[in-house]
Amino acid sequence: MRLINTVARIIDDKCTGCKICAQVCPTLAITMEPIPGSKNRKLAIVADEQCTGCTACEQRCPFDAIYMENMEESRVIGVNPAQVEQERLQQICYDAHLHPEQVVCYCTGTRAEEVAAAILLGADTPDKISMATGLRTGCTVECLQPAMRLLHAAGHHPEPQKGMYQWYGATPTIWDIPDEIKEKYVQRGFYFDDDIEFMERIRNYQSNAEASANGSKGEVK
Amino acid sequence: MRPSPIQPLPARSSRYGIDPQLVKKRFAELPGMTSVTLRELFPDSPNVIYPSAEGIAAIRRATEEKMEQMDLSMIQPYQSVNVLASHHGFTLLGGEPYAEVLRTIYDVVKRRTGAKEVRLRAGVGLRFRETEEYIKRFELKQYFDRALGMAPIDEGIPIETEIGTLYGLKRAYDADWIIHVHNSDVREVHFHRQVDRAVKPFGMSYARIETRSTYHQNLGPRAANFTARAIFESPFVQSKFVGAVFMNMSPSGVVSIEADNDLYKINDTVTLDGLRYYGKVFHLLGRIDECIVGLDFPCPVPYVFSAGVIYCNFVGANVDLFDLDVKLPPYTWYTEAFYGKDGRPLLPDISPVNPAIRMVIHNYAWIGYPSAFFAQQLPTLVVGKEQAELFEHDPQNMEYMKYAMVADNLEDAMRFAYRTTGTDKVLVFDGAVGGMNVSASLADHLMKEAPAASAYVESVLMPKWLKQRGIHVFA
Repeated sequence: MRLINTVARIIDDKCTGCKICAQVCPTLAITMEPIPGSKNRKLAIVADEQCTGCTACEQRCPFDAIYMENMEESRVIGVNPAQVEQERLQQICYDAHLHPEQVVCYCTGTRAEEVAAAILLGADTPDKISMATGLRTGCTVECLQPAMRLLHAAGHHPEPQKGMYQWYGATPTIWDIPDEIKEKYVQRGFYFDDDIEFMERIRNYQSNAEASANGSKGEVK
Repeated sequence: MRPSPIQPLPARSSRYGIDPQLVKKRFAELPGMTSVTLRELFPDSPNVIYPSAEGIAAIRRATEEKMEQMDLSMIQPYQSVNVLASHHGFTLLGGEPYAEVLRTIYDVVKRRTGAKEVRLRAGVGLRFRETEEYIKRFELKQYFDRALGMAPIDEGIPIETEIGTLYGLKRAYDADWIIHVHNSDVREVHFHRQVDRAVKPFGMSYARIETRSTYHQNLGPRAANFTARAIFESPFVQSKFVGAVFMNMSPSGVVSIEADNDLYKINDTVTLDGLRYYGKVFHLLGRIDECIVGLDFPCPVPYVFSAGVIYCNFVGANVDLFDLDVKLPPYTWYTEAFYGKDGRPLLPDISPVNPAIRMVIHNYAWIGYPSAFFAQQLPTLVVGKEQAELFEHDPQNMEYMKYAMVADNLEDAMRFAYRTTGTDKVLVFDGAVGGMNVSASLADHLMKEAPAASAYVESVLMPKWLKQRGIHVFA
């Protein structure tokens, strides 16, 4: 869930049409439109309903041509995880090495289960996940990889848009690190296997209620 | 009788904080506040070259001296050099020492190599305009041939590493050569755990979002900083790397400037010195039984600091953050990730935040870093409705004010805190240099505990910390 209470505004007189704002917007809310009457000049246009107020465009505009405006009425975006098949949701999270309750975006507090639900409801790129859940619309930096892991776990392998900077691709996880690399660096204080073990405990954690419903002996609080 | 508080660093104009004029009163101005210097607490605190009677000239002199040992012969006159910097350096001691290190590097590289273009490329954390503000403030655009701030959402380039493809910022690497300029302040020990401290910016401020997300989500709490090493060791980065220049910090100031072509040599020095210089303060703060915390510094909430310790280190001071047997600090992003919907950790052995913190009075701190966790876990009073409103509209802090309450002014906030917590111990994170501003009762407590803390660190903790990092010290 993400509360949205600001929106990006373009100062047309200052906009040079450089399109950096469109290249960095995590929800693809900015497009470059031709200026009527001009030959090649374009202007940034914000689709208000897609803008989450993340300030990425405003903070990267080289010409200070964007400002953030407080909205008169805020709105909320988000996906209710209960509306999708729970078994599939849990399997996607499990395959991505994430617990469904795990927070995957530190700005919005979005949990893995909400992202998995968005994917099951049709979000098959990081941009669409951001539009649906608000993930990656706070700092816009730290939560790309959980989205990629969940997408991969659901069988999606999106390709980045050419010439855009929103995201480039998935990166290695601790589960991918070869043994010889672990061995090479373990004496320097990198605890790869211990961290894997700990994160597996998180992934496998079950609440008391879940454990008794499943008749299993999951680790409980 | 205890001395007056140390003058805190002034409020500063920034898009990430409230107008300095709205900061009506600082903790240091409140009755009952005093200061305790690091030298009083730990008589063996290291001597510093800055602040000192020599002033900023000491920084230039030390940088020039140490750079004499660096081989710059690979840089040809027709070539370009990117001097890579990070925002953190500008937050230390008002920023001028770091700016002077950067200026000196420019002068030395130009003089010794005649390089065609020596540029400043300054990376950021999560406040994309922050180094642009510093470049302007310290007039670095006028000094360098070019000076630019870089943000992690800027255009990237793939970097092939021994664990796979990671991504760096194109602008960081768009010169023939790079010089890495950083500081050793322990700072985000909850993230890097004092392992490869000197290497971290290669996985952070010089890196794209893919890489930074790898660090904070894909590798795990004690393996995270390997992301930085993987990038640094890549053939691509090695082909451009000239060397590094570091401000070697202690909680009292700049101990030395370190410069070398071998980053790992600097890494060993700053790792050892970091444990030595900061370990005792960290451990001492962990011996505080109860207190009210004051946030009062021009930085985002977790980064406001006191005696070299940032606030979020104190939030985790109930465990030993240097001890690598501790899987998860009470605060780090991995920890935050592992809190369930009921607001409690998913596993019972995840340590809660420091129970000594009874209340937090947020008098002055910036937006631009996800800080809701702190307000969720600790009773927090924010001074002034303007500051509350700033946080309410920050996309990284939409939930901060959902848990924090607003006080009209600092005096009322403190009256409420004293009454409801029942403690008169106050620890202020206001960037005071050379010591910390505290209430008289906390000063007494710290003075009483310091000798035992010092002895315990020397005899028990230091040997353990060093062994865990494969560092052998020969007397």
